[in-house]
Amino acid sequence: MNPTPNALCFGDGLPASGAPCSVTVSAEGVTIVPTGNAELAEEAVAFTAMSVEAGGLDHDQLVVSWGHGSARRTLYLKDPAVIVAFRRTAPHELTAHLERAAQQVRRARHSHRLLWGSLLGALVGLGLMLWFGSDLIVEWAVAKIPIEWERKLGESVYQDFLSKETVLKDGPAVSAVQEMTQRLAEKIPDNPYTFQVSVVQSPVVNAFALPGGYVVVFTGLMNKAESGEEVAGVLSHELNHVLQRHGLERMVKMLGLAAVVGIIVGDQQGVLGLAKQLGMELATLKFGRAQETEADLTGLRLLSDAGIAPDGMIRFFERLSEKDGGRVELFSTHPMSAARAERLKAELAALPKRMPNPFTFEWKQVQDSLASSVPKT
Amino acid sequence: MKCEILYPGAFPMVRVYLDANETVKAESGAMVAASPTIDIESKMEGGFLGALSRKMLSGEKFFFQTLRASRGAGEVLLAPTVPGEIVLLELDGVNEYMVQKDGFLAGAEGVKIESKMQSLTRGLLGGEGFFILKIGGLGQLVLNSFGAVHKIDLKPNEEYIVDNSHLVAWSSTTTYNIEKASSGWIASLTSGEGLVCRFRGPGVVYIQSRNPGSFGNWIRQFIPVSE
Repeated sequence: MNPTPNALCFGDGLPASGAPCSVTVSAEGVTIVPTGNAELAEEAVAFTAMSVEAGGLDHDQLVVSWGHGSARRTLYLKDPAVIVAFRRTAPHELTAHLERAAQQVRRARHSHRLLWGSLLGALVGLGLMLWFGSDLIVEWAVAKIPIEWERKLGESVYQDFLSKETVLKDGPAVSAVQEMTQRLAEKIPDNPYTFQVSVVQSPVVNAFALPGGYVVVFTGLMNKAESGEEVAGVLSHELNHVLQRHGLERMVKMLGLAAVVGIIVGDQQGVLGLAKQLGMELATLKFGRAQETEADLTGLRLLSDAGIAPDGMIRFFERLSEKDGGRVELFSTHPMSAARAERLKAELAALPKRMPNPFTFEWKQVQDSLASSVPKT
Repeated sequence: MKCEILYPGAFPMVRVYLDANETVKAESGAMVAASPTIDIESKMEGGFLGALSRKMLSGEKFFFQTLRASRGAGEVLLAPTVPGEIVLLELDGVNEYMVQKDGFLAGAEGVKIESKMQSLTRGLLGGEGFFILKIGGLGQLVLNSFGAVHKIDLKPNEEYIVDNSHLVAWSSTTTYNIEKASSGWIASLTSGEGLVCRFRGPGVVYIQSRNPGSFGNWIRQFIPVSE
């Protein structure tokens, strides 16, 4: 009858999963008796002919190797009784190897425990951090993004968007929007952005800002507005989204951890690649209510600084809340228009009174020029 | 116990012949049909705590079912939940396999199953979760896969790289490290390959030709979302 196998033998001509065999330890070495595989011959291996190390998935197996070339054999011992017998009997030179092997196992187990401990600690820490400070992490990561990355990102989405739309190249509407932008931009201290504003033919009552300072105003908005000051109000609001880097904050939130890691390690290509996967979603990013309120208030102050009558912005919100119940596409995720108008009125009352400088254009003429170019929908 | 694979390929079944009073343990719910001499017993392998830890930790079913030929010899037909090949392994008492948690279909009475905690990196990044099944003992072991099963034979120190979601089972004599598929972290995550396992022999690695996670993502787009 075959003895019970307690080890696996590997080598040329033997199955890849190992040939089961029975190993016994004697004073001179080990004796290997096959327990079923015809290719494996009974063999006695002297301690002097073998090398020893720890092996297997958990480094808990004793690996004994001997021979060279195609005659090389490797034995995997797992039976604790055989391993103990081996350690007791083997000569010192080999035992030293074994002790090293045993130490490897202990070290592996120790680091295993240490890692699990740190993981638990890190998870608890991360949980607390996310609970109390996810916005702080996002703000911190956004602050690390260089303006150059932001510009590249915004520009690619901007060009992509414009290529599919009818863009007004010149005319009174374009000049009017340029004048508004210039007057606002001049009053922004230490402005790192060069704003680019395009007027796009569309009945949509909307305007949006992309990271890096790329702004799109739809003719629908200009048709709806009763004065240049109203459009300038929306424009000032959008420019402030850019200045506060609200778009980037939303992007980092949407892309999550991968973006934060990319920013930390300075992987520009990676972050831009990830952001491009969002594609046009960037243009339609929904800002949070707090961001909207912030852009409203800073927008109002900017209007006042630029000498543009700030009540145009308030008037626009009021009309939106009257006519559309506060739900026009641009503002669908915004705070309700009436409440916004009230908050802005309170803010305006606190601002020092300034005499507004009128724009150089006639708003009626600007709208008339649009009427002649915009197809009715 | 003797096993035979019926309809090999995507939709196989296993016919298990049992002598009188012999048993087979199978994944809960795997039985398709059986002779009238067979009784089904539910049994918590490794006792209540063992079963609980397997359920809680590896996501395996709480109970394996034990099918016993208590009223004479008979046969049982078993089938896995997912379409894919079945592989039969003969355990000789020294061979041990690590099996990803959905890979076990059935095993002879002498087959021992336990949950095993993986190291941090393997658990976090390996794709099989923190806990896998360690299966040893004596007798036939039946594993199932998603797609076709491919066997990779590794000689001592021979290496092979496997996408972590394609693993089914591997010998405990192999070792493996988790690596990024590409040089950069973001490229690794966005290339679709993510992380891979670099296996080192000796031993065998069974892989499946389909990735269950990717299939799940693909099929999700066709499932209507209820508001």
